[in-house]
Amino acid sequence: MLDPELEIHPKEKILRKRKNQEKINLIKAILLDIFFVFYAILVLQRAIYYKVILDLRELPFSWAEVILILIISAAIGIIWGYSRTSLGTRIMGLGKETKSARLISEIFAWTLFNLTFIAGWLVTKISLIDLFSKEGIEGANRIFHALFTPEFGIFDDALFAIIETIYLALIATLLSIPPTLILSFLTARNLMKDHWYTFMIYYALRIILNFVRSIEPLIWAIIFSVWVGIGPYAGMIALLVHTIAANAKLYSEAIESIEEGPVDAIEATGANKLQVIWYAVVPQIVLPFLSFTIYRWDINVRMATVIGLVGGGGIGTMLMQYQGLAQWHEVGLIVIMIAFVVWIMDYISAKIRESIY
Amino acid sequence: MSSNVIVEVRNLHKVYPSGTHALKGVSLNVYEGEFLVVIGLSGSGKTTLLKCINRLEEPTAGTVKFLGKDITHIKGKELREVRTHIGMVFQQFNLIKRMNVLSNVLAGKLGYMKTLPSIMGNFPPQCIQEAMKNLDIVGIKEYAYERADKLSGGQQQRVAIARSLMQSPKLLLADEPVASLDPATSNSIMQYFEKVNKELGVTVVCNLHFLSLVRRYATRVIALKSGEIVFEGLPHEIDEAWFKKIYGEEAEEVEIR
Ligand SMILES: Nc1ncnc2c1ncn2[C@@H]1O[C@H](COP(=O)(O)OP(=O)(O)OP(=O)(O)O)[C@@H](O)[C@H]1O
Ligand SMILES: [Mg+2]
Repeated sequence: MLDPELEIHPKEKILRKRKNQEKINLIKAILLDIFFVFYAILVLQRAIYYKVILDLRELPFSWAEVILILIISAAIGIIWGYSRTSLGTRIMGLGKETKSARLISEIFAWTLFNLTFIAGWLVTKISLIDLFSKEGIEGANRIFHALFTPEFGIFDDALFAIIETIYLALIATLLSIPPTLILSFLTARNLMKDHWYTFMIYYALRIILNFVRSIEPLIWAIIFSVWVGIGPYAGMIALLVHTIAANAKLYSEAIESIEEGPVDAIEATGANKLQVIWYAVVPQIVLPFLSFTIYRWDINVRMATVIGLVGGGGIGTMLMQYQGLAQWHEVGLIVIMIAFVVWIMDYISAKIRESIY
Repeated sequence: MSSNVIVEVRNLHKVYPSGTHALKGVSLNVYEGEFLVVIGLSGSGKTTLLKCINRLEEPTAGTVKFLGKDITHIKGKELREVRTHIGMVFQQFNLIKRMNVLSNVLAGKLGYMKTLPSIMGNFPPQCIQEAMKNLDIVGIKEYAYERADKLSGGQQQRVAIARSLMQSPKLLLADEPVASLDPATSNSIMQYFEKVNKELGVTVVCNLHFLSLVRRYATRVIALKSGEIVFEGLPHEIDEAWFKKIYGEEAEEVEIR
């Protein structure tokens, strides 16, 4: 009674899969190598040769040159990758296990690191002379003196501004909860992997959220202050957007790490998907969710301050104004108040999180 | 054994995505009213077999029939309807830890409920009565309002049994239900399964490790070895020779009373 379906050869299947995987990894390794070589040549040419050796002020740039370098690095990368002595193949775990192969990739990695460090030094224009010059130190002295003698005349204005900041952060955090909840379920792999169409949703949402999250709240604030006008509203939306994206990731990771046992048990009773989520998933994630959200409020208060600097309202905007007028005593008071509030928020949120566990 | 067949498994294969061939052509019948025990070494495929019966795992090939109906590939509502008739109890109890005992037991009724009322926790009064009755059957009525994770292992397993009874199951699958309990508690839990089997007439398929328990409770035994059935018979037929064949030459029987 054997049916053709029974012709399963798991061993062969696995072997074939492994070979395919290896091919893909080799391609990745070679791409990595090409990138490394390209990067090394570019840094050598532009930072070391032009800047240090020729000491040019304006660096010449031409696309033809870049493309030429790319072609050269592609050739080197491919040959090097195939020889399996390159850094890329070592990173992907495909490198030859001989002493010389290991040495070559290690030396190359070390060279890359040093090139990067030197280029970084040149780019940031590090100069000890500036740090310890006479005028420099005098200027710093003046500011520090002012900061440590704060002007209490603006205390009530600053207090209102900082309360605005705290509320702004609170509202952004609260409003983020419902959309975050929904998105976190839709981006939890274990809930979405069963059907190809739910998996597509999962994938698309993950990409979008990653993108949104990779843009800092500060930049969102700039975007929204153009969109809805400068002020607390723009700051709030900026925080909201970033909070949703950041917390959806944390929440969905919490969902992915739940115990599978209760899910099996509830599914076995004949419950549908929503019932399974409500009975087997939700009870396991309420505490982590609460904890993330409270922590996020704390983070948002800090971020709201920074966002204020670009016109997101609250204490940050006030700080920016006094800084622009070089009224350092007022700035001093504001900085002290911000430090105090951040410290308190940190303490409170830690205490709440401790007590719910 | 001329009674009705409740589960019919034919040529069942299960290959996990990792490549493990966990079941290699298993065929068996489960008869109404029996207490069938599945034994076998760790990794022999016992859990996989049970999960293929209520389709928590997808069979790779072969067929599973429940009450004459082919359920190998059914989906959605149809699958959920079949599952409501099959209770399952697990080694790790798998209760909802943060909920109280009564809510855990009521969860057994989810398959019969509409989504919205069940999520609101709106169980009809007769459901709650039934839950209390089932808690009474397993002797832990007085713990109804305790949080589930406050209970001992044995008590949690009794809650799990009460939960499965809410389904008024025709078949009860038990996956090593006493493997994480001490011997005395194991025995008392097994007695509840016996009670469910004899008094409520529920067919039981149970994975077990200890032969002393098998001899005491099973009406029939199947032994799995690396995904294949190597023994099928009555408990007392498992002698020294069979034992060595099922568990390997090195094995020695331990007594659990
Ligand atoms: N979800 C899974 N994914 C991949 N492989 C699995 C999975 N579940 C079980 N296996 C493998 O299938 C084989 C059979 O496992 P199964 O859990 O059915 O055995 P078992 O007889 O129940 O063992 P135990 O007594 O340890 O519970 C094992 O080799 C196991 O590693
Ligand atoms: Mg098992």
